[in-house]
Amino acid sequence: MIEIRNLVKTYGKVTALDDVSFDVGKGEILGFLGPNGAGKSTAMNIITGYLAPTSGSVIVDGIDVADKPLEVRKMIGYLPEQPPLYGDMTVNEYLNFICDLKSVSQKKRKNMLDDITYIVKIGDVRKRLVRNLSKGYRQRVGFAQALVGDPPILILDEPTVGLDPKQVIEFRRIINGLGRNHTIILSTHILQEVSAVCSDVVIINNGKVAGAGSISDFTSSQNGEKRFVVTFDAKREEAEALLKAVPQVKSFSFSRIEHNAVVFRVIADSKAEANKAVFFAAAEKKIPILEMKAIEKSLEEEFVSIISKDATGGEV
Amino acid sequence: MEAIFKRELQSYFKSPVAYCVVAFFGVLTGLYFWNINLYNQSIEFTMTLGSLTTFLIFFIPVITMKLFSEDKKNGTEVLLRTAPVPTWKVVAGKYLASVVVFAVMCLETVICPIIMMFHVNDGGVFPLAMTVGGYVAFFMLGLAYLAVGTFASSVTDSQPVAAVLGVIILIAITFIETIGQTIKGTLGRILIWLSLSSRYGDFTAGAFNVSSLLYYLTFTALVLFLTTVNIERKRWN
Repeated sequence: MIEIRNLVKTYGKVTALDDVSFDVGKGEILGFLGPNGAGKSTAMNIITGYLAPTSGSVIVDGIDVADKPLEVRKMIGYLPEQPPLYGDMTVNEYLNFICDLKSVSQKKRKNMLDDITYIVKIGDVRKRLVRNLSKGYRQRVGFAQALVGDPPILILDEPTVGLDPKQVIEFRRIINGLGRNHTIILSTHILQEVSAVCSDVVIINNGKVAGAGSISDFTSSQNGEKRFVVTFDAKREEAEALLKAVPQVKSFSFSRIEHNAVVFRVIADSKAEANKAVFFAAAEKKIPILEMKAIEKSLEEEFVSIISKDATGGEV
Repeated sequence: MEAIFKRELQSYFKSPVAYCVVAFFGVLTGLYFWNINLYNQSIEFTMTLGSLTTFLIFFIPVITMKLFSEDKKNGTEVLLRTAPVPTWKVVAGKYLASVVVFAVMCLETVICPIIMMFHVNDGGVFPLAMTVGGYVAFFMLGLAYLAVGTFASSVTDSQPVAAVLGVIILIAITFIETIGQTIKGTLGRILIWLSLSSRYGDFTAGAFNVSSLLYYLTFTALVLFLTTVNIERKRWN
């Protein structure tokens, strides 16, 4: 759906983007991740046509942004970092203005605005002046603006910054809902956000792509190892003997005692099905397993390890 | 284009600036009308309009100052530059909204010549055609000034700076005439020819000069084009 090829953007001597390339498939929710100042907003501004790249190209649904910018802009709904609102208009006036801008016919307009205001939950403030709204509501009105005209692509620049935790959860719910029939690029420096809503990730650091792939690529085991936690309803020695007897277990360590049950951390080869082996071994010895849980390496660990490889500083 | 025109016009009448400009201009017109046409008993309202053109230099940048600088400051510029609307339409929509405000300014002064029409003494005849011609020229000159103000607004994100810059450019354009008169020779004549204000002299005197009107329109189109280029240019910065 979106092909980004060798984007370079320089501001005078500062290079904001340095040969950035990635693809976003139809229906993907791409998390665009990076520390502050990594070039996320610049890249998004180029995709939406707000800025022109120094070199490189952006192709949206087969159309080059440089060739037919207006065609591409029709397909994109954009929520910039600071929602572009007019304080002197009411929410209704503002959304109608956006409908005018995006040439939404009068016929479709009423239903569309009713739907959008329902989705982002601003139905109760439609008659209020934008300038009098709270930060959370402003963000939602900005989001509503991006949804007007039902563009197939949504580009959201840090949509949850400044929202309270409840609103953040609400926002993620909305984005998840929209992801079913939209292609979404969502920038953020909050890792949980990516794990919560995105199907794919592009990590950008110092203007370069530092990593890309699906969420599971990042969070699943590394170095061919699999880790899991097991809780046995047994004495410590019994459990240790049991784990020692399972050949697939590479190593294990005692973690803690919980309500008379013992908790062990187990490391095994990712290909060997050590969890099953442990289960059967325990069953044979009639030791009940109360809990068994895989530990996934968090995106956070992965992110930090990727961006610290380019040790060029920058605020993380 | 209509969307931007409509929004901009609504926004004008929601802020006190347009009202103040219109009201203050009305007061000034009244003063000059009293001085030239009533106290000194001149039947030529074009004289009054001619005097008022000097004040346009200060009034017009105040009308146009917000057109682009406000969007830049509020972050709504992103909206206009990523909307499926070509930049020239954005410029045209905003410019036309300022033209409406200026038209209101012109309209409120019409009361003066109307009063004169009904109070001509000693069997004199009110020069209707000349007055209408004067108004057309006054409006056209205003269009050119509005374009300059619009350009100034596209340069900065601060409204006061945009206003001051507009005034400075307009004063500079007025000075071209003075410089032209000092230099003399061909260059001098070219400068006088280019000057917006020197061309207005004919209209004050009551002559209707079509080529000057065409010059005003060309000047307006050129400056608006430059404004569009200036905004487009920012994509590349």
